[in-house]
Amino acid sequence: MERTVTVVPEAGLHARPAAAFVRTANEFDATVEIGRAGAAETVDARSMLSVTALGVEHGDEVRLVAEGDDAGAALDALEAVLSTPEEGEADADDGGTPPGDGDDESVSAGGEPS
Amino acid sequence: MSDELGGTSATPFSGVGTAVWYEAGVDLPEPPDPDDVDPAAERERVAATREEAREQLRTERDRTAERVGAAEAAIFEAHEGFLDDPRIADWIDDAIDDGLPAPHAVDRAYADAAAELEAAGGRTAERADDLRDLRDRLVGILLDAAAARLDDLPGGTVLLAERLSPSDTAGLDPEVVAGLATVTGGATSHAAIVARSLGIPAVVGVGEALRAVEAGATVGVDGGAGTVFVDPDDATRERLAGGDAVAVIDRAVATADGRPVEVVANVGGPGDVDRAVERGSDGVGLFRSEFLFQGRERPPDEDEQYAAYREAAAAFPDGRVVVRTLDVGGDKPLPYLDAPEERDPFLGVRGVRRSLGPDADLFETQLRALCRAAADGDGDGDRDADSDGDRDSDVGDLAVMIPMVATVEELDAALARLDSVADDLADEGVAHAVPETGVMIETPSAAFVAGALAERVSFLSVGTNDLTQYVMAASRENAGVADLNHPTHPGVVRAVARTAEAGHDAGARVAMCGEAAGDPRLAPLLVGLGIDEFSAAPPSVPRVKAAIEDVDAAAAERLAERALAAETRAEVEAVLDGDG
Repeated sequence: MERTVTVVPEAGLHARPAAAFVRTANEFDATVEIGRAGAAETVDARSMLSVTALGVEHGDEVRLVAEGDDAGAALDALEAVLSTPEEGEADADDGGTPPGDGDDESVSAGGEPS
Repeated sequence: MSDELGGTSATPFSGVGTAVWYEAGVDLPEPPDPDDVDPAAERERVAATREEAREQLRTERDRTAERVGAAEAAIFEAHEGFLDDPRIADWIDDAIDDGLPAPHAVDRAYADAAAELEAAGGRTAERADDLRDLRDRLVGILLDAAAARLDDLPGGTVLLAERLSPSDTAGLDPEVVAGLATVTGGATSHAAIVARSLGIPAVVGVGEALRAVEAGATVGVDGGAGTVFVDPDDATRERLAGGDAVAVIDRAVATADGRPVEVVANVGGPGDVDRAVERGSDGVGLFRSEFLFQGRERPPDEDEQYAAYREAAAAFPDGRVVVRTLDVGGDKPLPYLDAPEERDPFLGVRGVRRSLGPDADLFETQLRALCRAAADGDGDGDRDADSDGDRDSDVGDLAVMIPMVATVEELDAALARLDSVADDLADEGVAHAVPETGVMIETPSAAFVAGALAERVSFLSVGTNDLTQYVMAASRENAGVADLNHPTHPGVVRAVARTAEAGHDAGARVAMCGEAAGDPRLAPLLVGLGIDEFSAAPPSVPRVKAAIEDVDAAAAERLAERALAAETRAEVEAVLDGDG
């Protein structure tokens, strides 16, 4: 099974989006490979190193190849990860949230005091 | 001799200080003879190390989420991704098969991995830093090397380093670190992102020339220009020191057209009260009492809590310290609390729900301590004063704030506990006063019944982080729904507006202690919606004060009206940017 997807997150397939992609790939039994659209070479979607080394940027097209019982579901889930815009790094780039811990979150007991 | 070194701007801020070199990383000892290495044992060491590193990464993620922000915290998820990489795991195995012990095997595998990313160039090469950080962490655990400390730097430090890991950077105190500069790294490196969030002046990727700067030299960091000055001349020094730093505004502030607005601080740890005073805070709008309860074997007793609350109130003789009663979730229980694991801890037995249930004794002790400490205040606004009348006017007022309220019944029950505790203290002849009371508005239900809640207390305080999470039904822990986690979504704006209106109609003060209160960009909207008191992290207090003085309250009300008419987050943002 194969699918071509355009990468939406601003950060491309680096850091957080790559981690989310790899984590999702690990949730399925199917083996999944990823490569650049149009290129024959693919790499193991479970390897953060391999996925990051592809150097995929925002707007690039990638090819997903999955084999196994839940290959369809894996492709759906991975496509969702690649198609979801991601906040945070882009946010911080334009000033983002102010410094400090000014929040009202429940502090989980046992966690570090801020 | 003055020297200018060019680099990449990582934050727009500037500062001047004394150079301190930071050496990250851990040196490996000579490897033992391969015949002395037991591969099976070394593999086990690697596996155990991986688990410990995973724990550390998760702890740091949580800490960063609290100090900096959820987006920055997710950095550590990338590290966790590299921790489980099957290819790197194979390389470690191969190295162990070659006769290397665990630290050397890990070192070699991660060095190879970093080299692979570096060869790719561009942004991919910047991710090599993540692998080096992880290498340092793993080797550090294996060699039991104490982590290099960055939390006891002298004030006015300009930190110089080959590179800084995100965890190094997240631990930095912006009040102490006047700037940082690194040899390597780019504008999108995690360290740069975290520095930006903390407001630390930073220039990265200065290159080899930075190494020539000696520790102890005076160094200026011009983040805006991406320039590092060594021994800058007086004019440059003055420019950089004045730079973008916001001067502490040590007076009560009002909007440009004269509406008084209180700007106070959130306190979440031992040093925060001092920091709040230094940054010109008028008081404390959120004293997270959790920090008194964490990291210990048993809860603090009444006397210990009394001393802590009184000390905080004494720091603000003319102000008010709002203490939030214990707000612990069920996800990570305090060791001495009987809190079973819950399926959805953020929707579970937390905050007042625990105080009225399993933690009733703890709640009572806390209320007793608060009533006793309140007796030392000057008593303005107290609902009930005890009879001794001997008030120490050098101590500010205390107030009690109840977290996670969803119903009027919960608030009534909590207030009844407070009254009964005060009665007990009176019977015992102990000096006390019933403090002012307030409710945190962080559940949609509380926003809907804000009027009824406000009739029972002196103030409401909007906690935007949790309110946003619950209004949007989007977990703050889940990067997949990060888009939804913004206080500028119309649903959240309207919940704040509703709360403010209902609070004012009932004669209550309306405060905000969530992250949104510390964002100067949101100040006009929040003033326009009717927020009377802003409570922000201590470093943000000066810039919030400055922002308030620029707000015209009448114009802010018109802006708030437009924001309330908006149907999408983009429309709200456009209103904020003056385009809507």
